[in-house]
Amino acid sequence: MLKQDNASLAPKKAMFNGAMPAASPLRAPDGYWRLGDRDGTGLSLLIEKRSVGVNMLLAVALLLASVAYLSLGTTALDPRAVIQALAGQGDMMTVFMVQELRLPRLVAGCLTGGAFALAGILMQTLARNRLATPGIIGIDNGATAFAVASVVGMGVSLAPSAMALTGAVTAAVLTFGLATGSGTQGYRFIIAGIGVGAVFGAVTQLMLARVGIDTANAAYPWTVGSLNARSGGSVQLLGIGLAVGFVLAFGLARSLTILRFSEATARGLGVSVNARRFQILMLSVVLTALAVAVAGPVGMVGLIGPEIARALSTPRHVPVLAATLSGALVMVLADLLGRTMMAPIELPVGIITAIVGGPWLLWILMRPQRSRP
Amino acid sequence: MKEVYNPPTLATKALGMSYGPRRVIHGLDVELPTGKVTAIVGPNGCGKSTLLAGLARLHKPDDGTVLLDGADIQNLPSRKLATQLALLPQEAVAPEGLTVTELIRFGRQPHQGWLRQWSAEDQRVVQHALGAAGLKNLAERPIDALSGGQRQRAWIAMTIAQQTPLLLLDEPTSALDLGHQIEVFELVRHLACDHGRTVVMVLHDLASACRYADHIIAMCDGQIVDQGAPEDVVTPALVRKLYQVECTLLTDPDTGSPLLANVRRAAPEPA
Repeated sequence: MLKQDNASLAPKKAMFNGAMPAASPLRAPDGYWRLGDRDGTGLSLLIEKRSVGVNMLLAVALLLASVAYLSLGTTALDPRAVIQALAGQGDMMTVFMVQELRLPRLVAGCLTGGAFALAGILMQTLARNRLATPGIIGIDNGATAFAVASVVGMGVSLAPSAMALTGAVTAAVLTFGLATGSGTQGYRFIIAGIGVGAVFGAVTQLMLARVGIDTANAAYPWTVGSLNARSGGSVQLLGIGLAVGFVLAFGLARSLTILRFSEATARGLGVSVNARRFQILMLSVVLTALAVAVAGPVGMVGLIGPEIARALSTPRHVPVLAATLSGALVMVLADLLGRTMMAPIELPVGIITAIVGGPWLLWILMRPQRSRP
Repeated sequence: MKEVYNPPTLATKALGMSYGPRRVIHGLDVELPTGKVTAIVGPNGCGKSTLLAGLARLHKPDDGTVLLDGADIQNLPSRKLATQLALLPQEAVAPEGLTVTELIRFGRQPHQGWLRQWSAEDQRVVQHALGAAGLKNLAERPIDALSGGQRQRAWIAMTIAQQTPLLLLDEPTSALDLGHQIEVFELVRHLACDHGRTVVMVLHDLASACRYADHIIAMCDGQIVDQGAPEDVVTPALVRKLYQVECTLLTDPDTGSPLLANVRRAAPEPA
């Protein structure tokens, strides 16, 4: 007997309407603007209204924070004078202070914050876990250990960026190697990363303990994360890296969005999961390394930036741009706080982000039901 | 206007697969009848989900091939495969806060590109999927706020929006109560009978397989015990072999499908 003829299965047809609806004029889905031709067969881009608002808000906030950053400090300046000084006008002293002292540091702060947060949201999405930021799984520490090795002169002397990159890749290989079988999923991978990070942290301390006090002092900012001891070349390299990395991340945005589902679902939807994962991982590791080469392991920005971005955004996308902007904002505000809070003593930015980020991390751990990004 | 598919054939040839060091299935030759509902049944750990994973190219086989229209699926680009074959994995989880329509829109992914994110066809197919799965009234509801059966229908609607002639489901009803199970099974039959899709589902429950499948593949210890129409394949001997239980087999007076009655533990086999 054919089941198609089965009378008892007939009532279903009322419920499941299998007719294909007639073509209707194309509208953007709720919450989007659409750019493109009439029926969307050629170019058809969707722009989420909410993310436009969120990104504009963050950009304005970053702008205001930047003006505050340039104005405040051991010598407070009038914001109007700061803006004039940016254009090269006003008295020499102000122009010097703004253009030569504070602006480069502001740029370094924006770039490192953006890079840490972008690397963070990439890694979180890859691992489908909010705890899986490069800082927590040991990549920051790996990059730091290698960079410190070059500073304290352990026989190898390469530019900090190159050393940090080597260290970051080494840490990533170790973490993923030790977590074999469980892939990038689950806590095993995070625990392996914490272990790898601890080892590299200890190696850094060991190297600093064995050198003279002056060398150790020179390398100190590397251990806490600071915008105080950056080398010019590494900032430029980070600028290029972040620009390229951001474009690549934007290109990966659709895959990132789908990788939030399970691996099987993502494969079922036609995403080349292994290739995409490798690209995302590499991007995250490189961005982390370039940022560490500038500022050392500034903890928690990779966690807080994406967290702010997700809280502001809808769950339809992975907010790549919002995370980058939030990271920059957090970094600028934290360093501003570090410079001014106990002036003239300067607190390294890594200490401020740790003070803010630590409780945040605890809060995430306390709410295990929301561990997915 | 109704969409009717003419599905490509899906078959395996001497398929062998492992999970780590453990060999799960070996030498499987399967041919799935096109436009019909096939149920893969068998005891826990018999390799039925592994077979489905092989058919969906979730895992690479150790040896043998999976053939889609006679061509090895390993050689197909991911996106191309996703326009031919949709998969609903077991216990699928969505990112928090997505609505039903937003989830269904993801089914259009293989038909879209970075520069072509939303077309009139996408809009039409998403509307169709909502109607086909009986979800018109729940379109804007968050997935987390649905009942188990509704949620499962939303996931199936996502695969409908993928517009594939082949649909693979891994235990689509395992966590559902009876009413919700029937909801899902009737939808599955609708997709096969009214739209000509080939549906393959792994099922725990032999009784549902008898009732809703046209074709049964019975597996035990990584091998196929028997395959064919439920009324031909399901016998007391098969039930004993698969599950170590005795039963009396009746015929459903309304549908003609086999019914298992008086199910009890089999006496241990004489030494």
